[in-house]
Amino acid sequence: MSRLHRTGSFWRIIALLGLAMGLPALAQSVGQKATSPHRSASPYAKVHAEAARRSTADHSQFKILKGPFKEGDGSAVTKACLTCHPKAAEQVMGSSHWTWNPKDKHLAGYGKSTHLVNNFCISAQGGNQAACARCHAGYGMTDRHFDFSKSENIDCLVCHDTTGDYEKIAGGFPNPAVPLDEIAQKVGRSTLQNCGVCHFFGGGADATKHGDLDDTILKATPAMDVHMSKQGAAMVCTDCHVSNAHEVSGPNYVIPADKREKAHFPGESMSRMACTACHTDSPHASTVLNRHYRKVACQTCHIPEYARGGLASNLSWDWSTAGKLKDGRPYKEEDANGFETYNTIHGDMVWAKKVKPSYIWYNGNLKFTLLTDTLPTQRPVELNPAEGSYADSAAKIWPFKFHTGKQPFDPVLNRLVAPYTAGPKGSGAFWGDYNWDTAIKTGMEKAGLPYSGKYDFVSTTMLWPITHMVAPAKDSLSCKDCHDQNGRLAGVEGFYLPGRDRGWGIDFLGWTLVGLVAAATLTHGILRYLFAGRS
Amino acid sequence: MQRMVLYTLFNRLWHWSQAFLIILLALTGFEVRGTFAIFGYARAVFLHNTLAVVLIVLIVFAVFWHITTGEWRQYIPTRAFLREMVAFYLTGIFKGAAHPVRKERTAKLNPLQRLAYLGFKVLIIPIQVTTGALYYFYPNLNTLGWSPSTLWVIAVIHVLGAFGLLAFLIGHIYLATTGTTPLSNFKAMILGWEEAHPEAPTVSSEETS
Repeated sequence: MSRLHRTGSFWRIIALLGLAMGLPALAQSVGQKATSPHRSASPYAKVHAEAARRSTADHSQFKILKGPFKEGDGSAVTKACLTCHPKAAEQVMGSSHWTWNPKDKHLAGYGKSTHLVNNFCISAQGGNQAACARCHAGYGMTDRHFDFSKSENIDCLVCHDTTGDYEKIAGGFPNPAVPLDEIAQKVGRSTLQNCGVCHFFGGGADATKHGDLDDTILKATPAMDVHMSKQGAAMVCTDCHVSNAHEVSGPNYVIPADKREKAHFPGESMSRMACTACHTDSPHASTVLNRHYRKVACQTCHIPEYARGGLASNLSWDWSTAGKLKDGRPYKEEDANGFETYNTIHGDMVWAKKVKPSYIWYNGNLKFTLLTDTLPTQRPVELNPAEGSYADSAAKIWPFKFHTGKQPFDPVLNRLVAPYTAGPKGSGAFWGDYNWDTAIKTGMEKAGLPYSGKYDFVSTTMLWPITHMVAPAKDSLSCKDCHDQNGRLAGVEGFYLPGRDRGWGIDFLGWTLVGLVAAATLTHGILRYLFAGRS
Repeated sequence: MQRMVLYTLFNRLWHWSQAFLIILLALTGFEVRGTFAIFGYARAVFLHNTLAVVLIVLIVFAVFWHITTGEWRQYIPTRAFLREMVAFYLTGIFKGAAHPVRKERTAKLNPLQRLAYLGFKVLIIPIQVTTGALYYFYPNLNTLGWSPSTLWVIAVIHVLGAFGLLAFLIGHIYLATTGTTPLSNFKAMILGWEEAHPEAPTVSSEETS
């Protein structure tokens, strides 16, 4: 072997090593590309314009819609609608927007017309129907004896008004100031606003209940909501919550943890509530990221915070302090952020914007509490505990808004109570008379439920699944947000998470071994050096 | 002075790329564990998984090389000169004593090296490869009919193996400085040859005598 040859091989090795060093640089080009099903900007603006173009009807030309309609006479409009859409009545009256009770058998009982209870406004059933009916797709619901079989009581306009001028008042009636004929001539497909007038205002006011739904969505930037922003996908609610003969698809309180929506035949009408319906279950360029889907909901990484639009959501509602008066009058208190921390009619409240969700194992079963349920001994009472664990193959880590509350209950019957809250002075309603005893007594009477006559307050918690306000891919969580000792999943138990779970014992053992070897070699080396100097 | 070829081109390529891969795997692996942050978590995970596959391919080539060239014989443990080697490292080396074992092409490893490298090849590397594969395919183990209740057992063994490799690396680099000159072994591992010292006995001469 010639000398030249040997030097050649030496340089070859150096070159190969250099090439190997280049690997990390190569790796830099491998990002976490999330694939969007749509390439163009605002794709759904086009979809909606196309749908409008294809329409064969122009409601402004229909004589029957020109009215004139009497002030506030919504039923007259409904009758006009039904002349051309006779089957709509039956469809609407079968839907949960009308019955306030989900169709699915396993969800029956979970609705505002049932004994379902929450820790915001508590229950419609305590005689609060008239106030709550502003969000009922009907006219005239003033108590629990509302006639669900009268088709003229259907409110078509609340879902089909395209002007944004329609408004409902107590009992669900149209505000008499609303020009019904104008609105009737401009009906159309539901927009963000139609759904939003109720669903943005859950809990009685904008952004209060859900956390991921408020009216900032109407003017959202893509960073606030990548789907519903006009500059984003420009989608409306019904693009995902597809309706089937007036039954708008929706989870009805219990959001599925891992819904698979796939058409079984061409043209099948199906909802697209699950992210996977459009994005597939492996939308990332990285296999490792795609595998997260087995145990992590899309929402967990892609909704880094809720209430991102600028409005604060309610995190805590303490009814037990409600009813305090200042100089004999109800009053409000605000903190430096302008958040209402106290209101005589509500009690103490906590609000926050841009909130990190709570992460919980969830398999699609949220078990809600009813007014007729006996309370468990555990405090606080979990009103809708999520089922699921790491071992549960159907469960994923889901983001939730965690809501705490303190609400009245009957310590003798050990049940929650439905107070009569929304009513005038002298009616026994809490917001009129500020007397819990009469408010509960009246409420339970109106609900047709027993009440021992004794009340107290109990701490409760609720989980609200976070699934809207999806952020652009670049704003999703990074690995370290969870794969870290102090990461977002610090409290999620039952499994080993790389980067989070680092036993000190193993580190101690390992570093001791490494340290001993290092110390031994160092000592040996020093001795060699010293002895070499001597000899 | 005579030049003795000790390490063939493949031997050197294999050695250095393995060294490079193991060091990078250690860096990225400890980053995934959360010990420090160098590459960024996503890149560390990607590199760790990719380099692991590269290392496995390299190991397949190396196994083939060991078998076909008969180089595997060089790792057969022997007790010959074992005592002398220990004594050399504990005392002789300080007094400037000559290395008790001479290297030659067919017996380039001293008895301590044989033990250490054999352990490295048949113990640490297989443990790391096995636990690494189990770690990567952990989400798929269910479908393979085996579902361990938790990942931590696999992770702990993998991490202990990594600490073992780290300790090996330190000792290995240090002992490489105990050649004729502190750098002669490094030069030999790069160039392939070193100057021959015909005076000392070899492991193979002892075994055959």
